[in-house]
Amino acid sequence: MKTHGWFSKTALALGFAFLYVPILSMIFYSFNYSKLVTVWDAARSPTLKWYGALFHDNMVLRAAWLSIEVAALSATGAVILGTLAGLVLSRFGPFRGRALLQGLTTAPLVMPEVITGLSMLLLFTALEPLLLNWFGYTLNRGISTITIAHITFTMAYVTVVVQSRLSSFDDSLEEAALDLGARPAKVFFRITVPLILPAILSGWLLAFTLSWDDLVVTQFVSGPGSNTLPMVIFSRVRLGVSPVVNALATIMVLIVALGVVLSAVFMRRQEQRRKREEQMAATG
Amino acid sequence: MQSAERRADKNKTKNEPWRDPHAEAYVRIDNITKRFGDFVAVNNVSLKIYKGEIFCLLGGSGCGKSTLLRMMAGFEEPSSGAIFLDGQDMAGIPPYRRPVNMMFQSYALFPHMTVEKNIAFGLEQEKGLSSADIATRVTDILEIVKLGQFAARRPHQLSGGQKQRVALARSLVKRPKLLLLDEPLGALDKKLREATQFELINIQEQLGVTFIVVTHDQEEAMTLASRIGVMNRGEIVQIGTPTEIYEFPQNKFVADFIGSVNMFEGTMIEDLPDRVRIKSDELGGVIYVDHGISAAPGAIVYTAIRPEKINILRAQPAETHENCVKGVVKDIAYMGDVSIYLVRIETGKVVRVTLPNVERMSDDERIGWEETVWLTWHGSSPVVVTQ
Amino acid sequence: MKTAGRNVASRDSLGRLGPLWSIFFRFGPPRWSQYVINNWGGQRLVIALPYLWLLVFFLIPFLIVLYISFAGPAPEESKLPYAPVATWIRDVVTQNEVGTQFKLLFTSYDYLIHDPLYVSAWGYSIKLAAVSTLFCLMVGYPMAYAISRSSPTMRNIFLMLVILPFWTSFLLRVYAWIGLLKANGVINNTLMWLGIIDTPIGMMNTTFAVYIGIVYSYLPFMILPLYSNLEKHDNTLLEAANDLGAGPIRSFLRITLPLSKDGIVAGSLLVFIPAVGEYVIPTLLGRTDQLMIATLLYNEFDRNRQWPTACAVAIAMLLVLIVPIMIFQHFQNKELKAGRK
Repeated sequence: MKTHGWFSKTALALGFAFLYVPILSMIFYSFNYSKLVTVWDAARSPTLKWYGALFHDNMVLRAAWLSIEVAALSATGAVILGTLAGLVLSRFGPFRGRALLQGLTTAPLVMPEVITGLSMLLLFTALEPLLLNWFGYTLNRGISTITIAHITFTMAYVTVVVQSRLSSFDDSLEEAALDLGARPAKVFFRITVPLILPAILSGWLLAFTLSWDDLVVTQFVSGPGSNTLPMVIFSRVRLGVSPVVNALATIMVLIVALGVVLSAVFMRRQEQRRKREEQMAATG
Repeated sequence: MQSAERRADKNKTKNEPWRDPHAEAYVRIDNITKRFGDFVAVNNVSLKIYKGEIFCLLGGSGCGKSTLLRMMAGFEEPSSGAIFLDGQDMAGIPPYRRPVNMMFQSYALFPHMTVEKNIAFGLEQEKGLSSADIATRVTDILEIVKLGQFAARRPHQLSGGQKQRVALARSLVKRPKLLLLDEPLGALDKKLREATQFELINIQEQLGVTFIVVTHDQEEAMTLASRIGVMNRGEIVQIGTPTEIYEFPQNKFVADFIGSVNMFEGTMIEDLPDRVRIKSDELGGVIYVDHGISAAPGAIVYTAIRPEKINILRAQPAETHENCVKGVVKDIAYMGDVSIYLVRIETGKVVRVTLPNVERMSDDERIGWEETVWLTWHGSSPVVVTQ
Repeated sequence: MKTAGRNVASRDSLGRLGPLWSIFFRFGPPRWSQYVINNWGGQRLVIALPYLWLLVFFLIPFLIVLYISFAGPAPEESKLPYAPVATWIRDVVTQNEVGTQFKLLFTSYDYLIHDPLYVSAWGYSIKLAAVSTLFCLMVGYPMAYAISRSSPTMRNIFLMLVILPFWTSFLLRVYAWIGLLKANGVINNTLMWLGIIDTPIGMMNTTFAVYIGIVYSYLPFMILPLYSNLEKHDNTLLEAANDLGAGPIRSFLRITLPLSKDGIVAGSLLVFIPAVGEYVIPTLLGRTDQLMIATLLYNEFDRNRQWPTACAVAIAMLLVLIVPIMIFQHFQNKELKAGRK
């Protein structure tokens, strides 16, 4: 590896500054007493006033809870469907309609959200009378419609993650299991899934984050009374800055940072342990 | 080559079922063809393999041997033809229902399971085995492959040779009727390979399982096999014992593929039931063969002479009119146990000769570069093929 | 797992479900379900689940959008915000259905192409997306390059730092820029405090703000494919180039850059395609007098309640993006195939 030139160093420094200064500034000003957020009130800052306000803000809290519920449900649904799709596309032989499935699973990755949102809302609107007349079921736009919409577009990401993981290791392990007498379903659950578990988990996290964070599609398919956190934030920040949002942002950034760092450390430890064991085996 | 001789001896006392026209084949492959689109991977192959054999499919990459193996395991369906195992037609039977087990080239050990669990996996899929039974059988097979103390280890904690033995144990513990081995020794280094070859044979004899081994390594095939099937471009080119394949190749491909060979093109000038003379322009002389061959009159034939069967003489021999040629030593490779001489003869062709270093000689006593020598061979040495 | 032969399911293949069947059907599964299992069990079921979901919740909605885009504007008395495309014709005399009459109207599309508001919005959106992609590339490429040249330990840390913002809320990150860009925001305050400027610079609600917003939000999407491509480059190629007399800049331009073409295309498409249809960033940071396509779509739908027009916008957007999307899919497949080998 060539040693770092000044160019590389500068590029990285500037780039990371660009990425992090906004976030750090947001965190910094969450401790500002002033309602104007960016005008530092030196006399009465730093303060935890807005964090207190946050925890009393029922609208935000309810929306946050709804977002968590929807995200958890969507992530789980997306993982189930996405893993199956990833399995089909990487392990199954050719079948009629394969190309369409490939297209359908990757299209949501690049489809503009306004289109996805609009189309799903139209579907639900069309289904409303049908469900009412045939099943007597009133479709309320809320947690169920949001979850369905989220599953649909997040499963694309899970599929990509799972598919690329499956493509990168050959199927001799699965063939060996088949050869030893296990039926395909058993092979999937006892061999394939444990081996791609990290990919499935990261797919779940990815789907969770995307669902938790989604605004446009959610706005289309939600109904009155079902406001997710992004919707609440959006309506507030359209009017200008809001210090409670800064406090919220700080908390979220900290949680995410903690999670990312912990998982990185954990994975490194695993790697090192593995390497040590392999070395011992080779010499021993 | 010690084991090859040992096997040859054993075969003299054991029956050689392929010689018995009434023997029932354990594995019968009838006119199997496999096409991938326009490409024909296996072309109308028929084979009979007998119980207790170690049968080797030998060939270069792309010759179809792996495809044939996978069809026996059930991972590919033949485009036409049938496979019978112990009299039962295997058509449409998925791999998890066949009494066949496969040892994969990459070993395919389940990385998230211990050695014990890996081996037990196959037994757990069978009905009617209690966990006590399974544990006993696992312990037994671990003893046979000499991995008793490694039961609790995981695959990444094992060396290459140990992984190979686990893979073997995992397939053998199910007591399959047929074991398929895909390049079993390919990933091992030379010394380990030799030791493992003998171990494999011992285990096979101990358990009496029929082996079918796929390999591109002739040494492996020659050591392990009771019979070898040489494959080229999807077809079986010759089937025989290692001795037969080596000493009596039936065509140019087999002669050239196994070991090294010197090939001379020529036409027959004398064709008698018990001897043949061939005039070869490539050689620049006449070849005398002390047995009869069947070829059309005037046909072009190819004479194969193995390097170890040629003598190098530093002085001109008495008789030079046949089975003798003069040349100049172009290159020498000293291999320790043998020396390889590349001798350019008058026609320009380079002949390869192998001589064992029988005596310890100093450098000036040995045959040296640019020395003029005479090459001779016995009339029984050449093998003549017509294609 | 490609197994030989058809999926020959039988009672024993039901495995653990077997006893369940016996509870429901006293003598084992009835013949019809046996047939279902025989022909639809196993692989087909696995394929069917995600397939059906996507058909119902992705493809059909899209078809509905297409259908409505051809509808006429809402008639006065109807509750629907559009006139039906297909009407069943009833014979006046016999009162039997004679057929369906389709009335495909291209009025919506016509409107999109001719209305000045839309025409300017198309041009603006595409231009903005393209320029943002370019800026994103200019910022992201050096970073990806630098990361790929780092030692393995630093590489992991850098990648983690690149990915971390991605996991925090997109919306909040855009919001962060409001705090920086507005008149009494951080940047202006700092510049005024330093005495560099006297009056605040107007940065909010400009095209410039949208550029920043898009580059900022999509930077990880540009860096990751670029990095993944650059990381695979063989260093010995550069060493050979140096050995043959090419300096660092020359070798970069003639060897690294061309070889990273795939990464550049993948990253750029991952930024450009969603950027054309961006809604949040222009709404929070962008101009109020010049709108982007997505905003127009939303207004058409939400405020004007003109569904046919909104759907036509959606279809038109897709048509504009169909070529880039197909190029992207092509590259995705290439990556997957390469990964297999």
